[in-house]
Amino acid sequence: MTDNPAAGADTIPGDAVAVALTDAAPPPAPTGPSPVASVRDLHVDLHARDGVVHALRGVDLDIAPGEVVALVGESGSGKSILGATLLGLLPRTARPSCHGTVVVDGVDMLTGTHGEQRRVLRRSLGAVFQDPLQSLNPTMRLGRQLTEKGASPTVARRRLQEVGVPEAERRLRQFPHELSGGLRQRVMIAMAITAEGGDADDADVAPQLVIADEPTTALDVSVQAQIVLLFDRLRREHGCAVLLVTHDLGVAASIADRIAVLYAGRLCEVGPAAEVLASPRHPYTKALLDARLTLDGARADADPLPGSPPDPRHPPQGCGFADRCRYVQPGCLEAPPPLRDGVACLFPLALGDNTDRSAHPAAAEDTPVRISVGRTLADHEPGAADAADAATADGSAEPALVLERVSKAFDLRKGRIGSARLKLNAVVDVSLTVPAGGAVALVGESGCGKTTTLRMATGLLRPDSGSVTWAAGAARPQLVFQDAGASLTPWMNVLDHVVERLRFVGVPKGERMERAMALLQRVGLDGRAALAKPRALSGGQRQRAVIARALASGPSLLVCDEPVSALDATLAARVLGLLEELREELGVALLVVTHDLAAARRLGDDVAVMYLGRIIEHGPADELFERPRHPYTQGLLAAVPTTEPGRLAPTLAGEPPSPVGEQRGCAFVSRCPLAVTERCELEVPVLRPAGPNHAACHLLR
Amino acid sequence: MATFILRRVASLVGVLIVLSLAVFVIQTVLPADPVRASLGANASPELVEQKREELGYNDPLTVQYARFVGNVVQGDLSTSLRTKRPVTDDLARFARPTFELAGCAALLALVLGLGLGVWSALGGRTASVARLVMLGAASAPTFFVAIVGILLFYRRLGWLPASGRLDRMTIQTGPTGLYTIDSLLHGNWAWFSSAVKHLILPAFCLAVGPAVAIGRVLRGALLDVLRLDHVRTARSKGLRERTVVLRHGLRNALQPTLSMAGLQVGLLLTGVVVVELVFAWPGLGLYTTQAIQQADFPAVIGIVLVMGVAYVVINALVDIGQVIADPRLRAKKA
Repeated sequence: MTDNPAAGADTIPGDAVAVALTDAAPPPAPTGPSPVASVRDLHVDLHARDGVVHALRGVDLDIAPGEVVALVGESGSGKSILGATLLGLLPRTARPSCHGTVVVDGVDMLTGTHGEQRRVLRRSLGAVFQDPLQSLNPTMRLGRQLTEKGASPTVARRRLQEVGVPEAERRLRQFPHELSGGLRQRVMIAMAITAEGGDADDADVAPQLVIADEPTTALDVSVQAQIVLLFDRLRREHGCAVLLVTHDLGVAASIADRIAVLYAGRLCEVGPAAEVLASPRHPYTKALLDARLTLDGARADADPLPGSPPDPRHPPQGCGFADRCRYVQPGCLEAPPPLRDGVACLFPLALGDNTDRSAHPAAAEDTPVRISVGRTLADHEPGAADAADAATADGSAEPALVLERVSKAFDLRKGRIGSARLKLNAVVDVSLTVPAGGAVALVGESGCGKTTTLRMATGLLRPDSGSVTWAAGAARPQLVFQDAGASLTPWMNVLDHVVERLRFVGVPKGERMERAMALLQRVGLDGRAALAKPRALSGGQRQRAVIARALASGPSLLVCDEPVSALDATLAARVLGLLEELREELGVALLVVTHDLAAARRLGDDVAVMYLGRIIEHGPADELFERPRHPYTQGLLAAVPTTEPGRLAPTLAGEPPSPVGEQRGCAFVSRCPLAVTERCELEVPVLRPAGPNHAACHLLR
Repeated sequence: MATFILRRVASLVGVLIVLSLAVFVIQTVLPADPVRASLGANASPELVEQKREELGYNDPLTVQYARFVGNVVQGDLSTSLRTKRPVTDDLARFARPTFELAGCAALLALVLGLGLGVWSALGGRTASVARLVMLGAASAPTFFVAIVGILLFYRRLGWLPASGRLDRMTIQTGPTGLYTIDSLLHGNWAWFSSAVKHLILPAFCLAVGPAVAIGRVLRGALLDVLRLDHVRTARSKGLRERTVVLRHGLRNALQPTLSMAGLQVGLLLTGVVVVELVFAWPGLGLYTTQAIQQADFPAVIGIVLVMGVAYVVINALVDIGQVIADPRLRAKKA
């Protein structure tokens, strides 16, 4: 596993092969002799406009040399705050007040002088952040950014080579925007593993600890797998410890020696990764594992972890998880349980309690709560009711959406005067049908054209060629945006948003309020949430509000753009559950565009996979996920992390090529693990039946 | 980058054509009759008509416009009605002092603006002082600053002169007409120091307003930039705060600052009229006031053209500066 991931050497051809981490992993050492970082009884309070946020409330954590510790938790659990505290980089505007000790390389990052802290940052620490584009200075050449910590240009070049950046010498003179997302994150990692060394030109020093805050969250699945692999290799080559802050247990599982689970500002479980994943002892860890969307066919219950984390401004007196815990006892509410034997629970689950969640009696009872309103939406909406009837009556109803060979190219105003205009072929010859009341998931990595397809499907963008047909007589398809917060007007409350939309579709004034309330109730927002401004709502609530607004016109099709990618696993599961319910009850068809394969599996009857503007495979969800035919689909599915400890997902090499200019041959040629033929290079493959699926590959028999 | 600059220059020509059209239209539409003005009120109608024909005022407008542009290109802006000298000569004489003053003021405004902006954005406890200075300076009108300056530095302290460009002294005529530069070229230190002393007060008065505007925009932009992720990255490298701000913050905060600077330097060309009057500066400001009072249209048109060109050049410089500051714009604009 020391191959260069970018060179394509460790691409696994064909089927997914799990790579077990067998050698060289340093033994997990919870209490090593001299940890590189030691956090003791850390409390961090941040001052917000509306009160004091108790972000961390007594955290103890040691990181041994060379150890990978994954810090896992939902958003708001305080995990990023812990990372920032170790770096001495808490947001100053929040006027943080801390107590406890955070010792890195002998310096307390809370009380040390600025000079001492800066020395630790230069010599002993490296940092990788979530968004590689935002995290690099856009107006400074990479070479300068890489050497700022005190590394020599020679070392900078070597680091770029180590992290698999091709043409390192040229990259040093480039600016961040000239690189792809995956390369940028590699550069960021290269920068994190430089350190101030001696004066010698080749003083090759790496920091002792790299703090990586959601380093793969902003990346596509295939690139994410490459980056995880890279972390694993680097820590073995340089022996640096890694604190991997992540919400994704799958990423944590693949490389972590130890996993620390943070909830409401306190650690609730710490232990060797294999143990925590195989037999979680804290009910929260178990719930988190159960809530995780997986690629296996079993459709998880809609709400594996009801409730929401406590308000960090008013943390509960007892166990933070008590009000969501199904095993809660009166004693849990009195005082926060101390961390004993790696678990902070008075009644930990027995070791080896590995009961299948579907067999769990509680899980079976947990059917989604149906909210019954006096008059349901279907009563109000003749269109929706018809669609529901039609969908249930027979399958021959008019499809909600038909895309017939649509293409879209964008002009790039590039090149010198007089040179030919370049075209970016965003979508090429895409045909797609969403049956009435059906659900189709369109998956693909960023830049594959899925969002352009979605915009054409909703009529926001006119295709260059091909046709878009909606069900006759139905309201236009409605869009549910990815960033629910940004698609709501900040000074309008949720109810106003829905009422406004009802007015727009011509609902009489007298009925608007009542129908808006019914809609909001239908999506699970109560009266208090209805009157709240978007800012005061949680991510899940905002997404619900956006869905309610989209339903106002009684559309026969909801088009969802990455509906859950901004949400934690538990919230995502709930929103997905809601979408399923709406489809069942209102007969509204779904077109879901997502890069999250698990969400696609959960929602879609049919799944289409896009690559560089074309659909390269489509078929029934079960078939496509269990027996993918196209090598790209196979690679994509294999790259999804699972919670199997130490399983490093095999990676697709490289990144998608540029969609600019005319495409010759199969777009996947540059990354294809199969033996590429001359035909692949010259002829664009068309979709052909492959079992129940259709796939566009010359090499399929 | 070279392509971009070429394009910018090309668009500059386009703007000048529009400007010349505008000036020409104003000239033809205005009720004042230059022929009557030059011949006097008592001239006979026949003489006027003959003069009109002679000067080409009876030709079609397109022909007149072509002739006008042709003349302008050759440097002929016709003769000033007031001074009876070619407008081009007048402009050459009066524009140089003005450009010396405006140039110094613009430079001063940029330096003061950058300083105030950075100081108020990261000055720690003294940042509030910087903000107070900016607030105070912004609320004072230019003529008020000028009068206070004269009272303090001329009347009370006697450090600086209050009028004119130079003390009484014999000087050579230099190549540029800008005394600060000519004096250096001739190595005449007395000349230089006198020129600089005369420049300080008017340039400062002109610069105060723009400096504050630039400083405020820079402060806002810097505070925004310092919240960005890449600044956090810079801090995570253990750099000094000063290095973080100057190296990672400033360049990224330059876009809005440069826009504001361009706008302010453009406005400064208008502000120069008041300041020249107060400080008896023998420049375009004085020339303009007199030309307007006496309906000297050839002169006014010459002034409009010169100011227009200066304005367009300033904007082109700002655009080029922005592209230099942000490499991402190069891909987009080039």
